[in-house]
Amino acid sequence: MKIRIGVIFGGRSVEHEISVISAQQAISAFDKNSYDITPIYITKTGKWYTGDALLNVDNYKNTDSLLAQCTEIYISPTFGDFTINAVQSSIWKSKEIAKIDIAFPIIHGTNCEDGSLQGLLELKGIPYVGCDVLSSAVGMDKIMMKMVLKESGLPVVDYTWFTDRSWHMDKQAIIEKINKIGFPVIVKPSNLGSSVGVSKAADEAQLIEAVELAGRFSSRILVERMVVDLKEINCSVLGDVANQNASVCEEPLGAGDILSYKDKYITKGSSSKGMTSTKRQIPANIPKEQAMLIQDLAKETFRTLSCSGVSRIDFLVDKKDNKVYVNEINTIPGSLSFYLWEATDKNFGQLLKTLIDVALKRQRERDNLVVSYGENIFNMSAGLSKSGKS
Amino acid sequence: MENPLFLAALAVLLVYAFAKLRFELHMMQLNSYRNDRYFKWLKTNVLQGTRVFEAITLAITGILLLTAGAVVTAAAFILLYGLMAYLLFVKKQKKPVVFTQRAQRLFGLTFVLSAVAALAFYLATGKIMCTLWVGGFALLLSFVLIALATILIAPVEKSINKWYYNDAKKILEQRPDLIIIGITGSYGKTSTKHFLYRMLSEKYNVLMTPGSYNTTMGVIKTVREELQATHQVFIVEMGAKQPNDIKEICDLVHPQIGILTAVGEQHLESFKTIQNVQKTKFELIDALPSGGLAVLNADYEFIANRPVADRETALYSSDNEKVDFYIKNLSYTARGSSFSVFNKGKHLADFDTKLLGSYNLSNILAGYIVARHLEVPDSSVAFAIKKLEPVQHRLEVKVHANGVTVIDDAFNSNPVGSKMALEVLKGIEGQRKIIITPGMIELGEKQEYYNTILGEHIADTCDYAILVGKNITLPIMKGLKNKSYPDNKIYVAQNFKDAVNHLGGMTRAGDVLLYENDLPDTYEL
Repeated sequence: MKIRIGVIFGGRSVEHEISVISAQQAISAFDKNSYDITPIYITKTGKWYTGDALLNVDNYKNTDSLLAQCTEIYISPTFGDFTINAVQSSIWKSKEIAKIDIAFPIIHGTNCEDGSLQGLLELKGIPYVGCDVLSSAVGMDKIMMKMVLKESGLPVVDYTWFTDRSWHMDKQAIIEKINKIGFPVIVKPSNLGSSVGVSKAADEAQLIEAVELAGRFSSRILVERMVVDLKEINCSVLGDVANQNASVCEEPLGAGDILSYKDKYITKGSSSKGMTSTKRQIPANIPKEQAMLIQDLAKETFRTLSCSGVSRIDFLVDKKDNKVYVNEINTIPGSLSFYLWEATDKNFGQLLKTLIDVALKRQRERDNLVVSYGENIFNMSAGLSKSGKS
Repeated sequence: MENPLFLAALAVLLVYAFAKLRFELHMMQLNSYRNDRYFKWLKTNVLQGTRVFEAITLAITGILLLTAGAVVTAAAFILLYGLMAYLLFVKKQKKPVVFTQRAQRLFGLTFVLSAVAALAFYLATGKIMCTLWVGGFALLLSFVLIALATILIAPVEKSINKWYYNDAKKILEQRPDLIIIGITGSYGKTSTKHFLYRMLSEKYNVLMTPGSYNTTMGVIKTVREELQATHQVFIVEMGAKQPNDIKEICDLVHPQIGILTAVGEQHLESFKTIQNVQKTKFELIDALPSGGLAVLNADYEFIANRPVADRETALYSSDNEKVDFYIKNLSYTARGSSFSVFNKGKHLADFDTKLLGSYNLSNILAGYIVARHLEVPDSSVAFAIKKLEPVQHRLEVKVHANGVTVIDDAFNSNPVGSKMALEVLKGIEGQRKIIITPGMIELGEKQEYYNTILGEHIADTCDYAILVGKNITLPIMKGLKNKSYPDNKIYVAQNFKDAVNHLGGMTRAGDVLLYENDLPDTYEL
């Protein structure tokens, strides 16, 4: 009897391809003696498929022929229904394709990492790996995340935010605010990962262009002070709100002063294997005390945002004064940060097992909570009044 | 004219057959598909409305068949059977029939038997209206047919059960890593199961047999339908109505840990002697592997005095300090109980719970011993115990806004339970201790005796007693008088409403009220 895992990947997101690679890496790392894997692929148009052809990364070069070899599926939002159903069925072909015990979303970016997929899994009542709806949503939205972290006393760089529309209506007031923060600044759409739509602005003219760019990806825009003399440090956290462990720190080595989408994923052309191909230094070349500080801040960030599973928290270190800032959290990090855990104390297989255990633990804790009362208050008899009332 | 009429009559009869056979099936189902129980029930129910009406109908149509034409007979047939089918369909059932697969098989076979009777007649005589009448006659005797069908289908059911049994066994054999815990006892096994489940859930993925599924078939159903690869522990509640019941479940699941919560005088009808109860309950302990953990409630004489060899034993008690695990420093407050657990003189842990009463605490202790054995940290167990919820109206304690503490034990009506409730009332902090009770019912010939004793306990414990119902509480009054309890501390209420009104005028902050037993609305006070 093996534990049946449904690995969900792909998705309507700019990080679709990265998700496919992360998922392939994870699927090949699972201990096949303990787990049965059902790949569940969400296309760029939002259709769901399963099939063995999904297990070979080369097949993704031609999506049409890949999907022709797969079965289109759906899962229902009904509570307690863990079956995967074929969209097309007949009297000869049964509707039920597989059953899963646990869902494992390995999807980056919008429409999945942001809590929407988690919401569906929550409705179904199925245990799933990673952050829940709340922490996924807050973690995905750079503005909300900054607000929560700032309120909790965690160090974040100065920032301001506004909507696309208010920028259009009241540009001058917003520019004044940004002037107070001081140029150069970095402009980001609030809800995308992997540096998409992110650019820097050294003056007002560049700012206008940067905001235009960001506005194409999100209606909510974040502007923050740019740390000029910068060192980026990342640290992964594994666990839940009750217990967390921090990995060793890494220093990603980008080509420019901010890591662009291109830097992160496309530098090596078609041989790209996701985050693992990025140049990086593990462990980061920083003093031991600073590494420990970053690990503590990473765990505190993870706890504050009520995360679960594995996350990667990215930090900015100002080389001028050695100040450390929390930059952002990835609640489903590229390659699940397995390379950081390999350098700490776990191989990929052990990391995956821990993630499954944490997911089941959360499910148990949830089952212990009261969600509704068995009594029907429309149907309470008057007889109750005689017991226990004084 | 004749043919359509005949077809209509046939259709009506078929509809009626469905309704009637469904009724018979329902009765058979309520008697657990067992002919011995079914016949016992039939003895008093064979002459009920439906059957009498049926006999009359058959008599009328029989006479018409002999005297009048086929058209008149068919019309009468349609009218009378239509009416009876209608009456059966509108009849309300407390617990409606469930068409399980087993029920469908039995229903089908009974239907076939009825049809075969009519068909045989038709083939022999070729008279169509008479055939319908014979069909109706077969339905009159459907209680015999269903009993016959039950006998005929028994081998099929047996082999199906066997298949389920083997299937469950196969599933369990694939899970050598699964930790299996058996719980049995005359009382307290369901509570212990829930408590243990909550404690172990702090560390493990636990499956337990749900609700009252405590028979072999219930365990098989749980294994086949609910056991998943993610489960690490399986808690099996084992009930017994006769010797060997528990052994049968153990042969299937092979528990590694066993909890025996109580050996008492339950189901004595089938067990005859308490020694037989003891022997049956200990089937669980005997089934444990060499070195397996046996958790035994030493508060029961018939558990404490039974030697257990070759197993690791953990005897526990709610107050006896001579056994392995026991409870000390017990105190009750309006928020529940606090207590410490000791192991042979060594303090292990302190716990708080919303639950009250030594029964509950003893069940918690049994759970703790197993949780400890399976290395759940004490701090996690303490959290789990703090989170345990009392069952509604069973020693449920609430502090009301006016400062009055209410212990709601309205669902209790047995001598041991009410004694425990009074112990809690005595132990709990508060000003005046007040009981509201109509006493206990349905205790047969010993009812008066137990209520008198209850009265004596009340005299020892309570500062004020409100007795609900004059006549019914006479034995309690007798008990109070035995202890010369003063009259001005007793109020005899006419009913609960009167009792509540009286209370409203006298309670003040700091009082503790115990509602002991609530009688059904239909009960005449």
